[in-house]
Amino acid sequence: MGRFWGSFVILLLVAASLPLAFMIGDLWPTRETERLLPFNLATYWNPFFIFVVPNMFFTGAIFFASGALSRKSIVIYTQGILLLVLYIGTSSLLRDLEQKEIASLLDPFGVRALSFYVQYWTPGEQNTLQIPFEGYILYNRLLWVGVGIVILLINHFAFSFNVVRGSFFRTKAIKDQTNRIRPEETKIPVATQYTNFATHFGQLIKLTVFYFKMVFKEIPFLAIVIAGILLLLVNAINLNELFGTSSYPTTYTILGLLGSFNLFFLIIAVLYSGELVWKERSVNLNLIIDAMPMPDFISLISKFLGLLLVYIVLIAGLIVSGIFIQMSYGYYKFELGIYIGTMYTETLAFLVLYTLLSMFIHVMVNNKFLGFAVAVALFIIFDFMPQIGIEHSLFRFGSGGLETYSDMNVYGHFVLPFSWFKIYWLAFAALLFAIAVIFSSRGSEDVITMRWKAGKLRLTRPLMALIISSVALFVSTGFYIFYNTNVVNEYTNKDEREALQVDYEKTLKKFEFTPQPRITHINLKVDVFPSTRDFTAEGYFYLKNKTNAPISDIHIQENASSLVKTEKLEFNRKNGVKEKFDKFKYTIYHLADALQPGDSVRMDFKTVFKTNGFTETNASNTNVVYNGTFFNNLYFPTLGYNEGYEMSDDNDRKEKKLPAKERMMERNDPRGLSQSLFGDDADHVQFEIVLSTDKDQVAIAPGYLQKEWEEGNRKFFHYKMDAPMCNFFSIISARYEVKRDKWNDINLEVYHHKGHEYNIDKMMEGMKDALAYYSKNFSPYQYRQVRILEFPRYSNFAQSFANTIPFSEGIGFIAKIEDPDKDIDYPYYVTAHEVAHQWWGHQVMEAGVKGNAMLSESMSQYSALMVLKHKFTPEIIERYLKYELDRYLSGRAGERKKEQPLELVEGQGYIHYQKASLIFYALQDYISEDSVNAAFRRFNNQWRFKDSPYPTSADLLKEIRKVTPDSMQYLIKDMFQTITLFENKADSAFYKEKGKDKFEVTLYTTAEKVRADSAGIESPVAINDWIDIGVYGKSKAGKDSLIYLKKHKIIKKENQFKITVNSKPRKAGIDPLHKLIDRHSDDNSKGLVKKEK
Amino acid sequence: MQLVIQNLNKTYANGVQALKDVTLTINQGMFGLLGPNGAGKSSLMRTISTLQEADSGSIQLGDINVLTQKEEVRKILGYLPQEFGVYPKIDAVTLLDHLAVLKGISNKGERKALVEALLNKTNLWQARNKNLGGYSGGMKQRFGIAQALIANPKLIIVDEPTAGLDPAERNRFLNLLSEIGENTIVILSTHIVEDVKELCTDMAIINKGQVLYKGSPLDAIAEVEGRVWKKRITKSELESYRAKFNVISERMIGGNPIISILSDQQPENDFESVPADLEDVYFSHIFGGMQKEIVA
Repeated sequence: MGRFWGSFVILLLVAASLPLAFMIGDLWPTRETERLLPFNLATYWNPFFIFVVPNMFFTGAIFFASGALSRKSIVIYTQGILLLVLYIGTSSLLRDLEQKEIASLLDPFGVRALSFYVQYWTPGEQNTLQIPFEGYILYNRLLWVGVGIVILLINHFAFSFNVVRGSFFRTKAIKDQTNRIRPEETKIPVATQYTNFATHFGQLIKLTVFYFKMVFKEIPFLAIVIAGILLLLVNAINLNELFGTSSYPTTYTILGLLGSFNLFFLIIAVLYSGELVWKERSVNLNLIIDAMPMPDFISLISKFLGLLLVYIVLIAGLIVSGIFIQMSYGYYKFELGIYIGTMYTETLAFLVLYTLLSMFIHVMVNNKFLGFAVAVALFIIFDFMPQIGIEHSLFRFGSGGLETYSDMNVYGHFVLPFSWFKIYWLAFAALLFAIAVIFSSRGSEDVITMRWKAGKLRLTRPLMALIISSVALFVSTGFYIFYNTNVVNEYTNKDEREALQVDYEKTLKKFEFTPQPRITHINLKVDVFPSTRDFTAEGYFYLKNKTNAPISDIHIQENASSLVKTEKLEFNRKNGVKEKFDKFKYTIYHLADALQPGDSVRMDFKTVFKTNGFTETNASNTNVVYNGTFFNNLYFPTLGYNEGYEMSDDNDRKEKKLPAKERMMERNDPRGLSQSLFGDDADHVQFEIVLSTDKDQVAIAPGYLQKEWEEGNRKFFHYKMDAPMCNFFSIISARYEVKRDKWNDINLEVYHHKGHEYNIDKMMEGMKDALAYYSKNFSPYQYRQVRILEFPRYSNFAQSFANTIPFSEGIGFIAKIEDPDKDIDYPYYVTAHEVAHQWWGHQVMEAGVKGNAMLSESMSQYSALMVLKHKFTPEIIERYLKYELDRYLSGRAGERKKEQPLELVEGQGYIHYQKASLIFYALQDYISEDSVNAAFRRFNNQWRFKDSPYPTSADLLKEIRKVTPDSMQYLIKDMFQTITLFENKADSAFYKEKGKDKFEVTLYTTAEKVRADSAGIESPVAINDWIDIGVYGKSKAGKDSLIYLKKHKIIKKENQFKITVNSKPRKAGIDPLHKLIDRHSDDNSKGLVKKEK
Repeated sequence: MQLVIQNLNKTYANGVQALKDVTLTINQGMFGLLGPNGAGKSSLMRTISTLQEADSGSIQLGDINVLTQKEEVRKILGYLPQEFGVYPKIDAVTLLDHLAVLKGISNKGERKALVEALLNKTNLWQARNKNLGGYSGGMKQRFGIAQALIANPKLIIVDEPTAGLDPAERNRFLNLLSEIGENTIVILSTHIVEDVKELCTDMAIINKGQVLYKGSPLDAIAEVEGRVWKKRITKSELESYRAKFNVISERMIGGNPIISILSDQQPENDFESVPADLEDVYFSHIFGGMQKEIVA
């Protein structure tokens, strides 16, 4: 025991140096005072005592006890890895709303409990509050310290009774029997010794198999593998979840899941490459083996091959587990080719590279433990290299991944750079290996100079050939990659990109508000070449001066990508280039005769997008691809200064000496009011386009198909829009299957990848239900078609263009909606949301000012939610809202700048999507769905198809106010104009039986209301609110069902309610359906106890 | 075939000079390398076994330059290091077979016969399927000699093979060694004089990296014959005798030391002349004045 406490104290002292160092850092004179909070001692030591000390106690106790009882270090290793699994495994549980509590208890280190506790802390609270020692944090700490104490006690008693017993597993001594055979008479037969190639090859095979078996017999190895597979299975419980709803376990989903084993692979690679390099020396057999007549490289290469065999078998095992997981989900579409194509290329290459590097390190360092330390340190350094400015993949060991796999585009264009980078790194690793062969210690020499002396003799012709060819390959592939990434393509690092951003802003910001004409007509011919990943676009815009003054300078911003070239840009009147900023691809054309107000000019241009060679995999363009091209009009010339190119993060701006900037214009800014959310290049435009693509693909843009024809190997599509639309259009080309349907006279189409039929019917239904609801409640649909188009999962979103909805294969298409009581049908829901944008965004374009997304996004959220409400059970809606609440509260916890009230939202998704769902759902609950719809309808009528000026959130609120009764007017301030939160709680509840079918429920509640500022600092406000009081009984199916729900006016914090119901009550609560935003929504209801008289 | 070592020098990184200008010629037959612990025996043997580099000097084995043509040496080498371990979870047959493969016995049938014979020869047949982790020191040592005999080596180097063996095991072991064919160079290093005396036709005494004596054990004994004197003294006298005479050994018998000294004449009356033993040669070189004579 003394030993335990002694080492425990030393551990604590070592660990204490960390907070101490942070503290010193904080007190250091050069501290950036304006970015940091005032010094506070507790900030440093609270976490130490709540987390570090108990963790050290508990882990120390476990390791100490297991070490003392088993006397085997492998048991300790194995335990460490199991703890790691518990820790990582709980993180996957934490993602599921219903499992957060379990996760926070199970994590032995308390990290999950902490994140569970502080998950909704706003930035203001994170800055000011101390870690609390209560709730799940307290329970977690008590639990694991308790476990530690129990283990110590067990150890104490077990150990004192068993001192003499020795080890659990006693090795039996073998008796040295004298036997009848007389050794003296044995003749040693002559055996032929061969030293030819075949023999050496045989030795190689033999040793390879020997080392392979050796690794597989290691208990720690098996423990790591089992731990990794356990983690895999835990992670397999929640597959690719969205709203708690799983995806189909497609092969790429499973491959993503198998990726969680990579950590274990790395542990195995690092541990066993070292173990095997040291194998003979660790058992002291090295001198015998080293004196064997084998070529020098055989020992190392067989160790490498042995590990390779281990990896190959493990990968096969993982693939089998993957298939097993798929089967357990009832999914039988096994794509062995993809498994093999990914695991035996990307994963295996990663393992091979790290193994060879690690073996090289061990040989060169020639000290086992130092070798491990250097290897781990090096891997950490690799991770940090980008931070110190080493970004290029040529310098980042093992770089070049296969990136995202897409069912549509398969491995796409990533295969080429992947292959080149892997050849490059494998050549490098081969060189390392050759050097390792030279320097590997054979015999008893450890000093590097002596190893070199011996090594020189090993420079045989084959080894020299290996060195020369690997150097040649490394250098030549290096040059070839460099030629591709930096010569053929443009390469910039982070600093250069930032410098360009800064330069752009400093040079051109003065043109931000220079009046420009607006696009009124778009007529293009776009030829997409999927197989070479190119396109050319030629055509014209009509630009109209909509201002009151003549315009003579036209500012053209070309797309910043180096792949995009504008080959032609002409105006149909005399002009010249006034100023050209090549660096920014920004040109000012001067018209000889100024464009008079109301006058138009035609601008003809040709834009060419050309893919040359390859870039670094992470920098490659995923818009123009072999199958599933999807790009939008931002590739074409735009007008004027583009604010979007500026640096946005305030800390970065400060570093570059740029002033802090607002994310959006104020709501009353006339410049903002005059432009729509799609920018200031246009209001509504006439649109016509001819697309061509490869014969086996379909090309689609907004508009109605006029004509479709073939010419040679190309297929042509002519689309035309019959009414003005917004200046935002997509161009899509892919090999599609089409599902068609009709709603009234409207053509519905889902263009999808073959094999992704799972949810097409749900999407169709979503379109129909949405069109029906919106047409009835808001206004008629303005188009004659709606098309959903699947695109590869390089991005996960759906986006609404005029009558055209690109929809990522990663969301919805592979969602698995199985359990109607639990799964949220998000393919249906997302479809309804995107269709709603045809009203909110397309029919009514809003001004590009603060609060704009409340009009397009939030109104679409509400619209879709209403469609959902009429389709699914209240329980599903409640579940959906619970996720929205969680995502809103977590979203505000991660706010970087300031949280805005809904009416002033500045592109903050957690507000305009998640909070808006909650707010609008509550609003329609308080003032009725019809009233909200009436307000939306009036707002739509007033602004439909209008050009500048555009409406703002204030315009919608005006309509909402009109339909809100006086008693509820306060809601508008709470919901839209402030950040208001509630803390509702059921404190205690009981009921009395008052006679047959007559029960009196008494409920004590507390209700608090707070307002938060933009940093999340709260201040209480007096409560004077209508809040639901509900009582649950039991339905026939045995589920909770509401038998009483009514809004009560609550004017003080503590309240008592007496409610009479006529069936047996089970539960009662305040705001039981979570309509109000409440950070502890799970304490709103309480089970009832029966009280006799 | 002859093993010719010339002017071999080796200094370790820590400054210890393990070999000082070692020059030796070793013929076929058993050669004993005698010296105390740390004398440089293992260094020398490892260098011959291609496991260590020399700073200068040369080793020639027949036509083979041992220091550069390591591969050629290894083909005909059988080496048993002073200390070695085994894979504890592997049985003797498996490991011996494994080593035979590495030795180049690639014919499976021949290998099987060889392994069986070697295990028989080393009296490990009964324990052949037991994990080596359970072997006693003697059994392990015999396993070591079994592996050193794979593929009829022309050069066998056994480094302190008898250390830690009980007398019976040691006998068996030495018998085994002595059976090895005559056209083989066997170098046996030991700090036990008996080993050399019983087995070797030729020998060298080495201490602190230097060769102090080379020749046959018989010649060595002849060299000191008649010059070894013994006397029983008391403990208190020991210091003065040490100062006065060239004391080559002190042995306690019945609580009192018997000292041997080397002297051409009878040093004092009560010293008695004893027949020379190899041990006297050894001690005389290690501790005695002859060291100086030879160096000079």
